[in-house]
Amino acid sequence: MASLGAFLLLAAFVVCSYAAVVSVVGARRGSRRLIESGVGAFYLITAIMGVASAVMINAFVTNDYSIKYVAHYSDSVQPLFYKITAYWGGLDGSIMFWVTLLSIFGSIAVYVNRERYRELIPYVVAVISTVQMFFLFLMVVHKNPFTTFLTAAPVDGEGLNPVLQNYWMVIHPPSLYTGFVGMTIPYAFGMAALITGHLDDAWLRAVRRWTMFAWLFLSFGLTLGMIWAYEELGWGGFWAWDPVENAGLLPWFTATAFLHSVMVQERRSMLRVWNVTLVILTFFLTIFGTFMTRSGVVQSVHAFGSDPVLARLFTIFMVSILVFSFGWVIYRLPLLRARNDLDSWMSREAAFLINNWILLFCAFFILFVTMFPTLSEAIRGERLSIAAPFYNKWMAPIGLVLLFLTGVGPLLGWRKSTPSVLRNQLMWPVISGTVVGIGCTVWGFHFWPTGLCFALCGFVMGTIVQEFWSGTNVRRSATGSDFFTSLVGLVGRNKRRYGGYIVHVGAVMFFLGCAGQTYKQSRELLLKPGEQTTLDRFTVRHDSIAVSDDGQKQMVIATVTVFENGKEVNRLHPAKWFFHKHESEPPTTEVAMRRMPGEDLYIVLANFDLASQTASLQIVINPLVNWIWFGFGMLAFGTGITLLPERTYSFALAKLPADAATTAGMLLLALMLSGTTLAAQHTETSAIAPVLPRNEIEKRLGQRLVCLCGSCGKEPIGVCACDYAKGVRREIASLVDQGKNEDQILQHFIAQYGSQELLGAPLDQGFNRLAWLFPYLAGAGGVLAIGFAAFRWSRHDAPGPVEPPTAADHELTERLDDELRNLD
Amino acid sequence: MTHRYIKIGITALVLVAAFGGLMWATLQDGTEYYKHVDEVMTNPAEWEGKPMQLHGFVVPGSIMKVPDSFKYKFQLQNNGSVVTASYEGIVPDTFKDESEVVLSGKLTSDGFHTKRDGIMAKCPSKYEASKKVG
Repeated sequence: MASLGAFLLLAAFVVCSYAAVVSVVGARRGSRRLIESGVGAFYLITAIMGVASAVMINAFVTNDYSIKYVAHYSDSVQPLFYKITAYWGGLDGSIMFWVTLLSIFGSIAVYVNRERYRELIPYVVAVISTVQMFFLFLMVVHKNPFTTFLTAAPVDGEGLNPVLQNYWMVIHPPSLYTGFVGMTIPYAFGMAALITGHLDDAWLRAVRRWTMFAWLFLSFGLTLGMIWAYEELGWGGFWAWDPVENAGLLPWFTATAFLHSVMVQERRSMLRVWNVTLVILTFFLTIFGTFMTRSGVVQSVHAFGSDPVLARLFTIFMVSILVFSFGWVIYRLPLLRARNDLDSWMSREAAFLINNWILLFCAFFILFVTMFPTLSEAIRGERLSIAAPFYNKWMAPIGLVLLFLTGVGPLLGWRKSTPSVLRNQLMWPVISGTVVGIGCTVWGFHFWPTGLCFALCGFVMGTIVQEFWSGTNVRRSATGSDFFTSLVGLVGRNKRRYGGYIVHVGAVMFFLGCAGQTYKQSRELLLKPGEQTTLDRFTVRHDSIAVSDDGQKQMVIATVTVFENGKEVNRLHPAKWFFHKHESEPPTTEVAMRRMPGEDLYIVLANFDLASQTASLQIVINPLVNWIWFGFGMLAFGTGITLLPERTYSFALAKLPADAATTAGMLLLALMLSGTTLAAQHTETSAIAPVLPRNEIEKRLGQRLVCLCGSCGKEPIGVCACDYAKGVRREIASLVDQGKNEDQILQHFIAQYGSQELLGAPLDQGFNRLAWLFPYLAGAGGVLAIGFAAFRWSRHDAPGPVEPPTAADHELTERLDDELRNLD
Repeated sequence: MTHRYIKIGITALVLVAAFGGLMWATLQDGTEYYKHVDEVMTNPAEWEGKPMQLHGFVVPGSIMKVPDSFKYKFQLQNNGSVVTASYEGIVPDTFKDESEVVLSGKLTSDGFHTKRDGIMAKCPSKYEASKKVG
């Protein structure tokens, strides 16, 4: 199988070069046949990569440890879920995953746009193929994921690192990759436009959606990374300005800038060089980020192996990208000249321009500071490093300026705003900001930066609410419908504008979460059982420490009781897990959290002493931190609205079915709840320690037999904490003492119960897998349901019935037409 | 038209200068030296009192903890040079014998004083170089 995989990669490389060459030749000669052959080859790459991925996943699932990559990232006890996701767990596989994603996205983009942007397509194919060629080349010559052992293959794999066996960590990389890879599509279209000289604004329309889609996934990936760091690493924070994190953030800034400035070009045909540059930069930064994190150029706390060969290959590729791309930009400068000038600084385009400068500054600032240690070593021969406070010092004011612009931008008109109009527009937002600001001062917040941040949040929210309010009112008086219908209609008719505002609401929530961090409180201390400590409103009492084992890991679990204002509110179980397969590696920290919208109480078991039952606890109060995740939810919602296809929203132009809103609301709620399922799944079960098994037989039986007490859902006997399980464990122990072996004991129990009911085996892993899958299914189901509903409603008013309308239908259509006319 | 370009040019220059100046000023106290133990210990006196990040490996068996406290004393080595380090606070899971760490703090005559939360142990990553394949 491994040789088949290696062969497929080689084949993909050959087909890529064919697609690239044939497309360019076809385009230059104007040969339809060559171009189509190129496109066909391009689709073929997707198929080849699909098969190669299947081979890889098959190797993981069938435990084919003759492949080094499989042996390194998987082992036989790993749950199926992690076996499959280990595909992108390492460097080699992640590159392969990258190419696979790129081929899929590329094919979709080419397929969708093949008619509309006919003249661009060959070059799009050529550019994407070239990028794929680079990554395939990397794999073929240097990092082949299908490399096998020349000597005898190991019996079992090494297993995925326990810290990474976390829910969030599994979906984080693919999401981030989707974002990174997605940015290649806009770049390909941009380059195609530059090469062909078709530099009207058409190519922008082709890439806007792609950029937004990629941007959404990039945001999602970054958020997941933060959640993982927060929940799994147990240091109480979520962002440490580590080079690896920064690498993901860099293209995010430039993509955000592009999503704003693209509007200026569409509206006013300005900033054309700027937009092409941003698209190129974003793509470049995705490659650069990959380079930074994989080649060991930048010193990071994440132990990336340094790899000079990879570094050299990447450098060559990056330099080629820059020379090639900006070479074309310079060559096409005459065609890229702006058709309009900036009329006034009091205009929306000026606000966008400033917003762009700041976002770009953010990107370059972070790039510079991240690279600073490497640069200083190269220039001064001395490695200087920069710590996180430096980033915070700079990013806080910059972020606040951005927040301010978020509030001002929408109030400014295109071209020029007259002062009197502006005064009217600004009145309410300023009032709202001032009220919040004064409120914060009264409440005793420091003005800098928290108070100011809150005030600006109030200002921005004022702007957004005012925009929705006035827009809805205008529409209501025009159509005469009720407020809610007008609101939905308003959003439906200007999806990008109002979707964008909703994204801004998400940004405001994010800023709230960050502002809360300035009031973070933390305490580290040592507690004996019964001792307690008070931090702010909370008193934490340490009760006990227990040890338990579930076969895969040994768990040291502390039990602490939390009092809020003297009242007992919670019992939490911070823990440390020691994985059996990874004894040489440190235990994982399982943080116990009491989550509330206002703040998180975050308790880490830092250290423990079983003999004296003392626990070193780190107790952190993290105000408003959850608003960061809520903010992302809002951002995704807003982006989703802007991304909805045109016809989906046409239902909003008809009179909204009365129950549709309710249904949509319910579906959304269901979606959000499926989100809580995700979160709930992560919370630690507070299993109280069962008696530790004394030997292998007891341990195995503890897993093979299930508890029938009826209250635990058939947990293994070794885990369940009920008296019944204790009795069975005692019985096992006595049987073992009598000298019986495992099978005899099993037979004893089967005879005693007259059935195999007690055996855990029928349960197998199946249930577990289902449980893992459930949130995904729920999420996917929710999305499908919403999509289906949207599709259904959108068809209501699509006038073009396939079958001839009956009389009743006719009447209905007419009435609908009337209503539609009234609406517009 | 040229008049406009001059204006833009001057604005850009002022902005760049302002940011550059600010950056330079803040970088002065934002940076720390990044050194390996052996680099520093060849001439400790030169490095005393300077904020720095110190890279090395924990000497096996050297970690000592004051009972019922968060005070640690341990030794850090690199290429044969050893320095005694002290720390007070919670140590990361990855901090143990032979682990590769970066300490931030200051060197004094009686060893390296690590500041609070100043221990960064190399954290495990999916992309780590394979150490023992085969």
